[in-house]
Amino acid sequence: MSKLNPTDIQGFVLRGYNMPYARYCFLHFEDAERACTLIRHLLPIITTGQLWDQGKPHSTVNLAFTHQGLVSLDLPIATLISFPVEFQQGMQARGGILGDTGVNSVEGWDEVWREGKVHAWLGIHALSLEALDARSAEMQSLIAETGGARLLGNQDAASIVMDGKVTAKEHFGFTDGFGNPDYLGVCRSTQPGQGKLTADGTWAPLATGELLLGYADEAGELPVAPVPHLLASNGTFMVYRKLHQNVGTFRRFLDQWGARYGAGDGFAREKLASKFIGRWRDGTPVEVSPDRPDIGIVQDPNRSTNFTYGNDAAGTRCPIGAHIRRVNPRDAFGFQGKLINRRRITRRGLPYGPFALEDETSGTYDPSEMDATDRGVVFMALNASISRQFEFVQQQWIAYGNDAHLGNEKDLLMGSHSEGEKYAIQGDTSPANPPFFCTGLPNFVELRGGEYFFVPSITALGMIAMGLVDPR
Amino acid sequence: MANQSGSVYGLTLLSPILNDEHAVPSHDLQIRKYLATLPTGADSPFAIAPGTHLARLVVMDDVIYVGMPACEEHLNSKYLVFESNFDGDLDTYLAGLATTIPQHLDAIWSHCTGYPGAGDAQAFARYMKACQIDTTFFFAAVNDKSVTETLVALQTQRAVADFVATHQGVDPAQTQREFIEFIRILKVTPPPPPGIMGPHRNLKTGGRNE
Amino acid sequence: MSNINGKVYAMNAITPMRPWKTWILRAFFFILGHVKPLQSDLINLSFIQFARWVILPRHRFPFLGETQKREELKYDYLLFFSNFNGTWNQYIDAFSAVLSRGLNLIWRWSEKFPGSVPVTLFKEYIARMQFDTDYYYTAYPQATANDVKSAHIVQNALTALSEGVETRTPEQFREAYLQFVITVQAHLGSTGEAPTVF
Repeated sequence: MSKLNPTDIQGFVLRGYNMPYARYCFLHFEDAERACTLIRHLLPIITTGQLWDQGKPHSTVNLAFTHQGLVSLDLPIATLISFPVEFQQGMQARGGILGDTGVNSVEGWDEVWREGKVHAWLGIHALSLEALDARSAEMQSLIAETGGARLLGNQDAASIVMDGKVTAKEHFGFTDGFGNPDYLGVCRSTQPGQGKLTADGTWAPLATGELLLGYADEAGELPVAPVPHLLASNGTFMVYRKLHQNVGTFRRFLDQWGARYGAGDGFAREKLASKFIGRWRDGTPVEVSPDRPDIGIVQDPNRSTNFTYGNDAAGTRCPIGAHIRRVNPRDAFGFQGKLINRRRITRRGLPYGPFALEDETSGTYDPSEMDATDRGVVFMALNASISRQFEFVQQQWIAYGNDAHLGNEKDLLMGSHSEGEKYAIQGDTSPANPPFFCTGLPNFVELRGGEYFFVPSITALGMIAMGLVDPR
Repeated sequence: MANQSGSVYGLTLLSPILNDEHAVPSHDLQIRKYLATLPTGADSPFAIAPGTHLARLVVMDDVIYVGMPACEEHLNSKYLVFESNFDGDLDTYLAGLATTIPQHLDAIWSHCTGYPGAGDAQAFARYMKACQIDTTFFFAAVNDKSVTETLVALQTQRAVADFVATHQGVDPAQTQREFIEFIRILKVTPPPPPGIMGPHRNLKTGGRNE
Repeated sequence: MSNINGKVYAMNAITPMRPWKTWILRAFFFILGHVKPLQSDLINLSFIQFARWVILPRHRFPFLGETQKREELKYDYLLFFSNFNGTWNQYIDAFSAVLSRGLNLIWRWSEKFPGSVPVTLFKEYIARMQFDTDYYYTAYPQATANDVKSAHIVQNALTALSEGVETRTPEQFREAYLQFVITVQAHLGSTGEAPTVF
């Protein structure tokens, strides 16, 4: 396979920046010429995938476009219609497929997403709030100077800080950030369990084409991509979803059912929480250590993602419907995991909103007040094909359960539940691990907006900026 | 016997459709029109006639030209394809169709060459068998359960899920009493009708939340 | 007219074969039918409810009377009828990913078959060879093959638990009931509507 040129690929595609602050700016283009001028000015500032041998920069800048954005930049019609259908339609129109109905439907979205005018995502990541604001100001003045865009709104996000330390936690208290796939040729630390399973039980990186357009993918071909090749190559698609988290509802649910699970004590409550996700809240994978959390496993890259479900077909260690087992079944469907390899996504994104520490004296919080606070996670997924990867997982593995032999059951934390649904935790005869069923499932997560974006390569950005896109 | 897998029979029929230039609309279009409005749920003729797991009717206009260097050729007649997966043996099934849904059979197959009508069950069966093509390889995921057994099992599955969830943490003696009542009710509950989408839910499980 | 009813999709496909190749295919199907382990992949891809291949030799198109003109064909035809769960893309992706050798052994005798790997060309071929269903009926539209299999497991376990249940002591029942729940705990998914497809 061809060697990757990291200077041509936008930085956060190849690896997470691990910067604790982010500001996502949403732009609207009114005039193609002025917008292209803005992009030309941005080009030298855009962070690429080049390794930071001299240490991390204080902040980074990246740029992505919606289909409407590409239309307003006056790309040729033949190019515009060569983009995948789901990207052309945009995420709002795909709501039926994604299960974005009821409380997740567009009526409840933030105004910036309801209007459907977002043309570009300008992502700023920073090591400190000062650096964030400084870079932000720089972007503002660039936009004002060139008159190239209108700022529709910002979304700030930041890592949750506990005891003065930056963590990888999210608002329900779970440690996040595991399981991003390894791809061939993408230079980052590889870990057993992140790639694909091979015939002899070891792990190998996924084909590059599962993330980047223009490279061979897991189906042994070049993924379907827009034309011209030069516009698509080294680019990828990004799914952006703002997911509000009902932290009050979650805690009350955990309190209620934790009291009835196992011994009904604080440990049982933590164990129950671990059965929802498939990891203990400190990150220990339940499949590896179902009876207790073990920070040693979490901190050992050879173990924290290195497991399969082959010996746990009954789900008594990690429940069959647990979140991480749903979104990455590994070998659970047989065939040495081959059915999973084209359904992986790379996640970026950060929590947003104030973090509320769980009090030892539970019951002293007001669930609806907690729910009303604007907090959650900005979910961003990168993949070569939105419909084959993200949409498939969302529709078939989160909002549905047939592949896991769970019928219509949905992911507990992410699904939009209807009346009569339940969450089954498979167990065995030991009293600390009983079969257990949670019913009366509320919606823990609500969609507040989002869109599908195309993340061009640096070359492609140049072509767009200079009006040099020619489909054939 | 390639048409059979366990207790399920895979029937493949190709019935040549009448080729009458004077028929307006043509016979294949008339079949299509009838099928377009025929209910596919609980009111489907195949829900009324016994034994059908899954069945389809397809008007096959022509063979497909795959492109050069393959030769282009065409059928002289259109065919009505009937693919059915049902319980038991062919004779019983055909007899069942003829007795329970003759009006639908006639409405559809009267547009086909040589169709004698469902009135004469023997002639009907002979005709259907004359249209039969042997299935070369038949695969059935579940091949040992009848339609009724399947519908009953699905109903049971839903009822058991309810019972298990509502009896969590209930003491064994009470669970046992309520379980005995539960299976008694389940035994006398009729199997749900075939072809319905929604769950047939008039079952009470005697749990705490009733 | 729809290819879909509830959770199941009716696919129809027809491909031409040069008559001398038909015999090879018959031999392959014969082996497949009699060597059960070869079918295990098909069984483990648990989203097919019923599927069949029908070899239709060029002289065997049903001829029902003098008003019908006999067919005069050069090719034999292979008909394929599948009743599967999930989307069209998911189905073909899965087959291409794990059953490509079996698929090739069935369809390589058909004219201009491009191979089941890579998947995009394969999908284009199927799209051309597929013809649409006019009427589709299923007795259990709310259930997939997995749902049905699970339902039978639950039914069997319930029957076993019910046997002699009145004569058990509460303690005996408690144990038997726990075993029952453990047996069915992974098979209690609810049934209902399929995910939206467009």
